[in-house]
Amino acid sequence: MRIESEKQLRDYRKKLADADKKLTKKIMVCHGPGCLASGAEKVSEEFEKQLKRKKITGVTVGSIKKTGCHSFCEKSPLVAIEPAQILYTRVKVKDVAEIIEKSIKGDEIIERLVYHDPHSNDAIPKYPDIPFYKHQTRIALRNLGKINACDIDDYIRVGGYEAAAKALLKMTPEGVIDEVTKANLRGRGGGGFPAGRKWKSCRAVESDVRYVVCNGDEGDPGAFMDRAIMEGDPHTVLEGMIIAAFAVGAKDGYIYVREEYPLAVVNLQKAIEQAEAIGLLGDNILGTDFSLHLHINRGAGAFVCGESSALMLSVAGNVGEPRAKYIRSVVKGLWDKPTVLNNVETYANVPMIIANGADWFTSVGAPKNAGTKAFSLVGKVRHTGLIEVPMGTPLRTIIYDIGGGILKDRPFKAVQTGGPSGGCLAEQHLDLSVDFDTLTKHGSMMGSGGMIVMDDRTCMVDVAKYFLSFLVSESCGKCIPCREGLYQLHKLAIAISEGRAQESDIEKMEHLSEMVVTGSLCGLGKSGPNPFLSTIANFRDEYLTHIRDHKCSAGVCKELIKYEIDAEKCDGCMACIAACAFNAISGKKTKPHVIDQELCTKCGACVAACTREAIMVL
Amino acid sequence: MNSRFVVKPELCIGCRTCELACSFAHAKNGRPGRSRIFVLGGGFKDLFVPVTCLQCEEAACAKSCLVNAITRNPETGAMDLDHDKCVRCMACIAACPFGCSLFDEQQELVIKCDLCGGDPACAKFCPTKALEYKPVTVRALRPAI
Amino acid sequence: MVSLTINGKVVRAEEGEYLLAVIRRMGIDVPALCDHAAVEPYGGCRLCMVEITKESWDGWKNYVTACLYPAEQDLIVNTHSEKVIELRTSLLDLFLARNPETPLIQKLAADHGLTKTSFEVVPEPNDCILCGICTRVCDEMGFAAISMVNRGHGREVAPPLNEAPPDCVGCLACAQACPTNYIKFEDIGTTRKIWGREFELLTCEKTGRPTITREFAAFLSKHRDIPEEYFKVNDEAHRDELASTMGRITRWSVQEETK
Repeated sequence: MRIESEKQLRDYRKKLADADKKLTKKIMVCHGPGCLASGAEKVSEEFEKQLKRKKITGVTVGSIKKTGCHSFCEKSPLVAIEPAQILYTRVKVKDVAEIIEKSIKGDEIIERLVYHDPHSNDAIPKYPDIPFYKHQTRIALRNLGKINACDIDDYIRVGGYEAAAKALLKMTPEGVIDEVTKANLRGRGGGGFPAGRKWKSCRAVESDVRYVVCNGDEGDPGAFMDRAIMEGDPHTVLEGMIIAAFAVGAKDGYIYVREEYPLAVVNLQKAIEQAEAIGLLGDNILGTDFSLHLHINRGAGAFVCGESSALMLSVAGNVGEPRAKYIRSVVKGLWDKPTVLNNVETYANVPMIIANGADWFTSVGAPKNAGTKAFSLVGKVRHTGLIEVPMGTPLRTIIYDIGGGILKDRPFKAVQTGGPSGGCLAEQHLDLSVDFDTLTKHGSMMGSGGMIVMDDRTCMVDVAKYFLSFLVSESCGKCIPCREGLYQLHKLAIAISEGRAQESDIEKMEHLSEMVVTGSLCGLGKSGPNPFLSTIANFRDEYLTHIRDHKCSAGVCKELIKYEIDAEKCDGCMACIAACAFNAISGKKTKPHVIDQELCTKCGACVAACTREAIMVL
Repeated sequence: MNSRFVVKPELCIGCRTCELACSFAHAKNGRPGRSRIFVLGGGFKDLFVPVTCLQCEEAACAKSCLVNAITRNPETGAMDLDHDKCVRCMACIAACPFGCSLFDEQQELVIKCDLCGGDPACAKFCPTKALEYKPVTVRALRPAI
Repeated sequence: MVSLTINGKVVRAEEGEYLLAVIRRMGIDVPALCDHAAVEPYGGCRLCMVEITKESWDGWKNYVTACLYPAEQDLIVNTHSEKVIELRTSLLDLFLARNPETPLIQKLAADHGLTKTSFEVVPEPNDCILCGICTRVCDEMGFAAISMVNRGHGREVAPPLNEAPPDCVGCLACAQACPTNYIKFEDIGTTRKIWGREFELLTCEKTGRPTITREFAAFLSKHRDIPEEYFKVNDEAHRDELASTMGRITRWSVQEETK
């Protein structure tokens, strides 16, 4: 069957919705990356097996939906029971029978499986009431956890392709561009360049061929927003690209997916096939003259290919190295043709803007920063997971309300936003609103949306060193400032963390950083010194303690710390002796143990083994 | 542009003034000593022939150049070699059927006749007019019978 | 044509012409290590960075590589502002840490007042400045026998898998174009060695002197339409051939005239 008019699409949607209404209970098993890793697949298989055996009215095997990331990754695997909105966390295979008995057949809530508030220990069975979800607004991630990831019918049922139909059948390309411009949709990949303006300039260039490209090369450590969308709601990416291609006049589009996301490739491929089969993609979409063919390109593991000009070279089959963008890619991009390149999340926003209008979109978020932004909240925060908040939400809300505060209620120290080339914000920044302009003003950046929370046991020199080492190995090496400059910065950071540096080295690093920022060829190099610049700006004292006192206050830099056993706390259980692989700990049972500093490699195994917190880091 | 070298070997006395003139004319690129014109024996006793680049219509040197360093100068008609572009692969030297693309070992450069920008020094200094550079009609380019 | 100001002088340039060409035409010396006329500009060495601004930019200045920035109407360029020189000096400082023994780098650094790098010299320094001229020239010539391998600081020029490159024809363009003579080759008798591969050099039938490799000649015959017999003798023998042909024609025409 091909859908060739708006009416056909509407009728089809109604048919799907009616069928769905017949299901009295739906079981949403999250198949996001976190849940899959914790065994979600086995859980859904068990549900299938048991449902086949037990006949329950209004509930069939079709009631099980393998959804995209439900986002509360900390508590994975997640199972939601709809329409009651009950969320079961950390579900094991052995819990399945009980869930079916109590919550599917009956309406009982299994209290031990629901979320409990960490402070009051109250059970919160419905997920919209959980603080993690309560403070979120979902636009780009709207369908995650709600529909089957690889089912176009499910996507259409919840309103999918309505926006594409509206754009193609009722709007002009200029009208679409105007709407997106009015919505002030800014690039979610991190740059924050207005998508509408990009589309407009691309359309204005005279050319027989234009391309749309989707950047799914999400390489920031700890970021997984784009992955979740590509794996969990691939059709929204396709729909966004259809609208963009219609607006700029492209007939071909490329989705560049990171090598490490095989499931995203599979799901996107399936989505393309499904959409082509019913005439929503390919030739003559929705019976119009407009055609769009989408192709998937897999990256080869280079972080730099997330940079737009490198990405385009990589799509074209060349080595992914950035080029100077004095001539912009909307003029000369993929195969030297005008090209619009947007990030996965940007495309995911587009259908909602077209469907609901620019005014609706700008009503969410902050001035000049309309809409929402997805983040992957990770690190030393109680509730890690995928979140989407209106622009302008204060960091404090994100970390303390959504994230539930710092693990073990330790003091907050810093939050790193914007991936490796982003920056660290400190406690005094907690009330900053999270949007493109504010973050950039304070030395960090939005980036694609990684958010790593750090507590007082994190050494900022070590953080800078880690991110610099990442950038050194991921620099393409084409230009000197990035290749050699970051290498030398990293070397100096190592010297500081090992207590070999002088105070003048900080000045040297600042000078070098400034040169790398001005001198580098692409954005990766230009933002490369950020891990150093933002930590030195907010944590200068910590650097100085390393240099002057040869001390690492967080107890991280191995060369500057030593482990010692507190004789008063040690009860002589010998657990640390067993844990030490280097036989550095000696002592008799029930007598305090001693660490031989000569043999100790500072691996920390004893700290983990000690039950009485008797091992001190000095 | 319509000018050509007109060579009359019967007038050549083998004095090699042309070679000297050439190497001094191109001394701006280095030291004199390597001429782009050669006075060679014509195969008969006392017959000398000044040999230099013929600026062929379909020049093998240009065809063999993979970086397009050899192109026709629209003003002089010479096949000019762009030293900045040249990667010294020696393809033109091997490909020229007249041996008129040369390698200057001292300067480590490929060199060839560039008609001195339209006024070749070699012809100017020829004492016997065995070598002239002057406008010619197409008919005169054929051997006179 | 557009007109712009470079170091205070108003100059005219073709629209879209790269700044470096205009700057060089004015006789201003701006260092550029990865620039080679045979290949497209690259923007790798960053030494040709200049300061640009426009009256309409309200005092905002940008730093761009002259080799890649197209000339624009009303652009104001400063090739030697304080900041630009500082930038170049820092770049050369980094170059010196990577190529401490390379004469070309030493010379340029000395011009900027540097004799020793202020950074830690890399382990195992060499003469390769990673300008990419060799690989780009090889690509441009249509062989693409060598390329940059590895990322970041581990970047180097190498043939595929570090084995004898199958697509190399031994033309030596890479070695000849290398600004620091880092690429080594060996010609012994009629054998040429480069990139771990051995080539046989053709020899002149008359003089016995070696010319170009058999592979290169075959390539030129096949793709560039140069008759194979042209490669049988070297340039010297070709000239002798031409001289005797002209000699024969002269003898014949003189005889005809005297008849």
